[in-house]
Amino acid sequence: MTLTLKTPGPRSLPKWAKVPSGALLGLVLLLLFNLCFTDHFLSLQTLNINMTQVSTIVIVAVGMTMVIATGGIDLSVGSLMAISGALAPLIFGARTGLLAIPAIGMIVAIVLPILAASVGGVLNGTLVARFRIQPIVATLILFIAGRGVAQVLTNGNLQTFSHAGFRWLGLGKVLGIPFQVLLMLAIVLVAAWVMRSTLFGRYILATGGNERAARLAGIPVQRVKLAVYVICGALSGLAGLLVIAINSSADANLIGLGIELDAIAAVAVGGTLLTGGRARIVGTLVGALIIQLVRYTLLAHGVPDAAALVVKAGIILVAVYLQKREN
Amino acid sequence: MRVRSAVLASLIATCCVAAATAAADGLPKLPKKAAYKVGFAQTESNNPWRIAETQSMKDIASKCGWTLVYTDAASSASKQVADVQSMIAQKVDLIVLAPREEKPLVPAVMAAKKAGIPVIAVDRDLDQSVAKPGRDYVTFIGSDFVDQGHRAAEWLIKATGGKAKIIELEGTTGASPANNRKKGFDETVKKQSGMQIIASQDGDFARDKGRQVLESLLQAHPDVTAVYAHNDEMAMGAIAALEAAGKKPGKDVIVVSIDGTKDALQAIIDGKLGATVQSSPFFGPISCKVAQRYAAGEKIEPWVKVSDLFFDKSNAQANLANGF
Repeated sequence: MTLTLKTPGPRSLPKWAKVPSGALLGLVLLLLFNLCFTDHFLSLQTLNINMTQVSTIVIVAVGMTMVIATGGIDLSVGSLMAISGALAPLIFGARTGLLAIPAIGMIVAIVLPILAASVGGVLNGTLVARFRIQPIVATLILFIAGRGVAQVLTNGNLQTFSHAGFRWLGLGKVLGIPFQVLLMLAIVLVAAWVMRSTLFGRYILATGGNERAARLAGIPVQRVKLAVYVICGALSGLAGLLVIAINSSADANLIGLGIELDAIAAVAVGGTLLTGGRARIVGTLVGALIIQLVRYTLLAHGVPDAAALVVKAGIILVAVYLQKREN
Repeated sequence: MRVRSAVLASLIATCCVAAATAAADGLPKLPKKAAYKVGFAQTESNNPWRIAETQSMKDIASKCGWTLVYTDAASSASKQVADVQSMIAQKVDLIVLAPREEKPLVPAVMAAKKAGIPVIAVDRDLDQSVAKPGRDYVTFIGSDFVDQGHRAAEWLIKATGGKAKIIELEGTTGASPANNRKKGFDETVKKQSGMQIIASQDGDFARDKGRQVLESLLQAHPDVTAVYAHNDEMAMGAIAALEAAGKKPGKDVIVVSIDGTKDALQAIIDGKLGATVQSSPFFGPISCKVAQRYAAGEKIEPWVKVSDLFFDKSNAQANLANGF
């Protein structure tokens, strides 16, 4: 099979690791600003907090990057998080039959919600790939219905729980590093490797770059699209579990609310083309860090939340503008 | 759209007020009967507080001789207006309304008045510039949010000996409980020279948001010694944030909040939460009492204040059943 793909240029960094200099510049400026003007910024605890708070956005945004690289978009990530987050306490709270054994209960409470979110991904992928519905409309269906499903599961009630295993998932540390941060970094590394070195990664880029050409070249475009939505769904499910684990409570109305916008913004700031054909996983990580750091900076300086939203939007605008100029 | 409907609603409201004053009708009477058909128009049921409120109404209905017509407006003022209208069509004897917003619900109250059905507003009031208790509706039954703030502040002053650096976690920006709980607390604390609010930020009445906001604020203000949260859910988030930062809630940093949820009572028993001012969702018994007094021909005061309990270490265990 001969495939002409954009080959990496003669620069030293491999393509997948490249971050648009606009985004990097933004991150560096934010860090410098905080070092100068924010008290107690240079501490391990600050790093820990920012990394844990950003981890759910990054995990969702990695899936989003792959979807966007095929020329799609997934609006349903927040609702899928809600489904998975609402489902888990129902499972480990059941304590009947085999579920009463802690280890089995824990495993089922992790696997089943992620599977449920993946099924949501299958639905999205089928609508997009098989029925050729525009991604923004296809995923809007679950964006609306998914949260409804999560609310019906729980009658809209807040569920609170205390579960040692889930508590560790949210707050546990390995060698002093929060577990979620390690998980996030692992997911970023694996995704970056997939995009760089596997056939599947190439398929994703080819599909997003020019779908007709990709199909003529023998790439299973439909299956590739289905796969990215399923991956995005599964990652959202995982993020939903992390959110409830940190809080020891699940509120179907709030889990993942508005995260699709944070994730899409992270992807855009990170230099992935929203029209497809290019994916920058590490760029997405940088984009998410910028968004998180803006939030932290404004909070630490006592800027009211409402004003913070406007500033956040402004910074995204600037980053995207810089990226546009680069291209 | 929202603005337009709000404008429209207030226009209609003004017309209704004009019409009502012209007719000079008094407040509809409630006849003395053994059994009543009572409409309860709930605004939403997506949090424990609302669910407890509805349950309290359902529980009292049988004891009070009420047949309850229950509607849930699912967080929509326009649906709630329609709900009240359908109650009027069903010819209920009395409407207990938990108004979602102050202004948009006024036309519904006026329509009920015109149909001769008395209305009692619970937990949130109506806009008193267009509808008056005692003239257009029987009364407003609710907590004094400002006083809740006062009580939280007074406890904190005592617990810290009048010296504290406080971070305040506010409720949803613009919501009346958030505004008034802030007002009451800030007023009382300002009188103490040793008490200082070093940061005050929106935590949206939610556990996750409260936790994230406090995590960040703790980094910027490591000298904090007390946290005041406008509700228990945010206080639970605050406790998680303190523990994650290696501080002992209850020892290094004293936490006080408002609501009286089961989780909060348990946290008091565990020594992590200092105290919580109850914001009672149990409107059933008091609504029944007010309705009975009104049927007996008594004049009802324009604001029936709900007496909120106060929970701290001394009574949390005994009151676990009063949590929700």
